[in-house]
Amino acid sequence: MYANPVAYIFSCIFVLLAHSSMLVNIYFNGNYTDIKEVIVLGTAVLILDIVYFVVMLFFKQISYAVDFLLILILNMSVIFQSCFGGVGFNLKHYITCIAALVACKAGFLFCRNHKWIQEQKKLIYAAIGCLMVIILLFTGSRSMWINFSSFSIQPSEFIKPLFVLACATSVMDQQRRHKILFVNVVYENIALLGLTGAIVLLQWWCRDLGSLPTFMGIYACGFLLRICYPKAKFSKKKLIFAGALLLVVAVIGIRFAPEYVQHRLHVDIWNDKNGDGWQQAQALIGIANGGWFGVGPGKGYLHNIFAYDCDIVFSTICEEWGLLYGLMMVCVILIMIAIPLINPPRSYFHGTMSAGVCAAFVVQMALNIFGSCNLIPFTGVTIPFISTGGSSMVVSGLMIGMLMACQSPVFKEPKNKKKLKPVPAWRWTE
Amino acid sequence: MNSMNLILCAVAATALDLCTLILIITAYREKRSATKNWDWVANSMELAEQGMTYDLGCDEILIGRHASADIRLPDLSVSRYHAMLTVSNGRWTITDIGSKSGVFVNGNLVHEAVLHENDIIKLGNRRLVFRKRRDERVR
Repeated sequence: MYANPVAYIFSCIFVLLAHSSMLVNIYFNGNYTDIKEVIVLGTAVLILDIVYFVVMLFFKQISYAVDFLLILILNMSVIFQSCFGGVGFNLKHYITCIAALVACKAGFLFCRNHKWIQEQKKLIYAAIGCLMVIILLFTGSRSMWINFSSFSIQPSEFIKPLFVLACATSVMDQQRRHKILFVNVVYENIALLGLTGAIVLLQWWCRDLGSLPTFMGIYACGFLLRICYPKAKFSKKKLIFAGALLLVVAVIGIRFAPEYVQHRLHVDIWNDKNGDGWQQAQALIGIANGGWFGVGPGKGYLHNIFAYDCDIVFSTICEEWGLLYGLMMVCVILIMIAIPLINPPRSYFHGTMSAGVCAAFVVQMALNIFGSCNLIPFTGVTIPFISTGGSSMVVSGLMIGMLMACQSPVFKEPKNKKKLKPVPAWRWTE
Repeated sequence: MNSMNLILCAVAATALDLCTLILIITAYREKRSATKNWDWVANSMELAEQGMTYDLGCDEILIGRHASADIRLPDLSVSRYHAMLTVSNGRWTITDIGSKSGVFVNGNLVHEAVLHENDIIKLGNRRLVFRKRRDERVR
């Protein structure tokens, strides 16, 4: 049972209150033809809330704050997605949200014991390799999707959590150094560099350039935490070296980017607002149209624009619910990934894993929101939990599960732990 | 937009704000539970030297001369990265991570050893006692 029953009850009440106030807003202010639509939506949201509040107690955790924030944002997402272009319960998105919750708990159980997961590192590398082979064989050189009869999946999304796990490391692993010529190296760091290179090449081949910054962000975090031990201090030399390296990679990337990317970097959306700047121009007009408090749920016009529910979802929300609500939605996601700052993980492996998850979420949100606001070129990356898309939703759930695992870890040696060979006591004895 | 709609939007925004605030407070309350749980996992142990105590706040404690070590012993007889303390199943273990002068537990040279209360650990010229954490007031 939860150690803080008062906090649990208050958290439940306030999550329900937040969702209820949104539903009341839809009832009085929304664009619907039949009241049944609002009732179905409200019932589905409140049932999911209550069922999750009960289910989460079956998982023995020390901290449940991330769980509450997750259900808060997921049901907000269901409400947003059900209101675009008129109120109507979005069953598909509701199911993907449930899948995200299941994935979250799976991620939690999988990553709780960091010693066990560290022993599975080879399997993690193998799984990433398998996914890369699947992408090579089944998606084609200009696509990132595998289409089945009625739905499609994006295998590159599933690489993200595995890559976060590959980047996570323990202090002990970083002390296993081997001398090559005059340099002490950790074999795993070289393997990780090779893996990152392979992923970058694959993404380039698939033309999934929007995901590249996410992978690079995860790797940059992992790399920094591998070369510096932040418990004491970051080495300035190493930080400058890493920054310079990043700059060189960015310059080379921009210089050799495909023509359509070069075009996006320089497009003036207002001069070309009926051409390549169409989506961004409409997204900005939508945000301006919504103002601080929005035009009302279901009353916007951005649902007529392509990718209104994924790529420019921030603008669609801002138009219907207002900029204030849109920014608060972003704050909720940021608070969810900032929970490790309140309750820091007790193991370095979990710390690096949390940093990887945070990097992935922050980069994805920045790409989407700044892209919608024309601060950077349009990338087509989704906002975790808000945009539609089964693959993205499940993977985001899995990664939040990893964050939960860092909050409620288990410190147990795996049962089948391999014994290290004892080092001969060649030294003198006291 | 009429005043009714404005009020509803403001109410929804305020409810979300309040909810977020409550969840942040919940996270802070849970921090206490997490600390208690850690004390249980780590058996409330600490390393002590003459006039100094080192808290064992995470599951891997790097001991050495280097500035990035968790427990820094600025002594030339101690290697930059000398030894590692790890905890699992409630037991602390010390492991030599390639030091020059070795790790001695109660006078015996060890590569890896499970620590018990009041064990004396010698790293170079430094002697540390592995003991139960003491309350400030008792001291």
